Amino acid sequence: MKKSVKYIVFLAVVAVVAYNSVYFKALDEVKAGTSSFNAAKYAGEFWTARLIPALKKSVSYNVLLPLLQTEKDKAFEQYSHALGIGNIRYFLVKGEGEVISVDENEVIVRLDSAGQRPELRLATEYVFGNAVRDASGSLHINEFENSMDFNNVSAEINKIIRDKVIPPFRSKVKKGDVVSFHGAIELNREYLDLKRVEVIPVELRIKNEELRMKI
Amino acid sequence: MNKLLKSCLTALGCVLFGVALIRCKTRQTTDEPKKIAIVVSTLNNPWFVFLAERAQAKAKELGYESKVFDSQNNTAQETDHFENAIASGYNAILFNPTDADGSIINVKNATAAGVPVFCMDREVNANDAATSQILSDSYSGCVSIAKYFVETLNKKGKYVEILGMVGDNNTWNRSKGFHSVVDHYPDLKMVAQQSADFDRNKAMEVLESILQAQPDIDAVFCGNDAMAMGAYQALVASGKADKVKVFGFDGAEDVVLSIQQGKIMATGMQFPEVMAETAANFADAYFKGKRDFPKKMPVAVELVRKDNIENYAAYGKKE
Repeated sequence: MKKSVKYIVFLAVVAVVAYNSVYFKALDEVKAGTSSFNAAKYAGEFWTARLIPALKKSVSYNVLLPLLQTEKDKAFEQYSHALGIGNIRYFLVKGEGEVISVDENEVIVRLDSAGQRPELRLATEYVFGNAVRDASGSLHINEFENSMDFNNVSAEINKIIRDKVIPPFRSKVKKGDVVSFHGAIELNREYLDLKRVEVIPVELRIKNEELRMKI
Repeated sequence: MNKLLKSCLTALGCVLFGVALIRCKTRQTTDEPKKIAIVVSTLNNPWFVFLAERAQAKAKELGYESKVFDSQNNTAQETDHFENAIASGYNAILFNPTDADGSIINVKNATAAGVPVFCMDREVNANDAATSQILSDSYSGCVSIAKYFVETLNKKGKYVEILGMVGDNNTWNRSKGFHSVVDHYPDLKMVAQQSADFDRNKAMEVLESILQAQPDIDAVFCGNDAMAMGAYQALVASGKADKVKVFGFDGAEDVVLSIQQGKIMATGMQFPEVMAETAANFADAYFKGKRDFPKKMPVAVELVRKDNIENYAAYGKKE
């Protein structure tokens, strides 16, 4: 009798220990980030307090392009920002031009520029990555406890662009419109490709639409 | 009296000899080159072997002795290496952590003992622990991969994600970067997400098992290149290698070659040499008195695909 009680107690202890030793969790639930950080709130404050004022410092693409073609290092030194080391760097740019095509993923604009008339792609579909967050040079990774929080800020900034900047523009823009923009571009310092430059927009305006509304 | 004097002289002689020995030892210590410990999460992956080798080569170039310690992806082993390094008088640690949270204590113990720690590639979740952390910008790299992923799959299809170690921030930075793009496309359906611990053989086994239940997938996204090669092997074995697109991350030698041959679609090129050399240079600057290091120093990751592969070689740019 005593022996059986002993066994039961022993088995109960083993069961309790085993139960508390193993637990199952979905991989998606395992996140190495701090849950207290509110990336959406941070991104909203960054947008109004730092990014919009920084647009005043945007370089005109008509100024930047010839500099990139003739004095690449000077152009990168003077106008680009990046948070760390490497060849990928970001520029805050502005420009104005005529819409030559409205495609599924982008709006292609031909800029008014002496001689060159370069084409730029205003991204309306693939608005991702850190271009806008990093181009202003006003945000630093060391302000954050871990890089996951910092990356979440980027995702939230891009969400603002997708939700608030692109829809009103995308719904009205058509071929032949004159548009102005402020936005961020990403360029590789070592392998510079100026044939397909994509702008992640921060501000978009259809100039002839504004004119029509005034009339 | 004579006996007493003799004893006193002997005792004095002993003391002087002892002091001389200590002085001699001290002088030897200051003349000895400084020693750098290179503690790496695992040497079972060629990428980390390259990282360790480059760190060691840079340390030697700067005039320091160094030794590589393999933690074998085990935080307990990592703790032993840290204790050994501190006890053996290493002056700095170039560190590739095993676990973002689990490795914090080792870093704190070393810095408390006056040994600076410079993290390479992987981070620890504490801004005040390491002297500096030199990290690949995995999130941005995977955003670029994901954009290419969406384009090549034409915004629809079924895919599998094979994750790295769940305790490592890089695993989640890569996964989150990838999903920050792909999740916007509801016709791209993730049919399975499983960890293979950054290991080639495990990835092969994981995908083989997933393919039993999900035979008609269109793509596999892997958190590193070793797993991408394992996934590719599983696809070859099941006769699906031509149909299923594989994407990796790292810029390892076999994947760079496989992109050239059209077997793997793309990878994110990290620059382990840049990280290892920056860490060694930081240690050198620390020995020379510098103390204001950036807490985190991201290193840009570049998208490598067939149309730009001529610019790249294993673990970096073509010379």
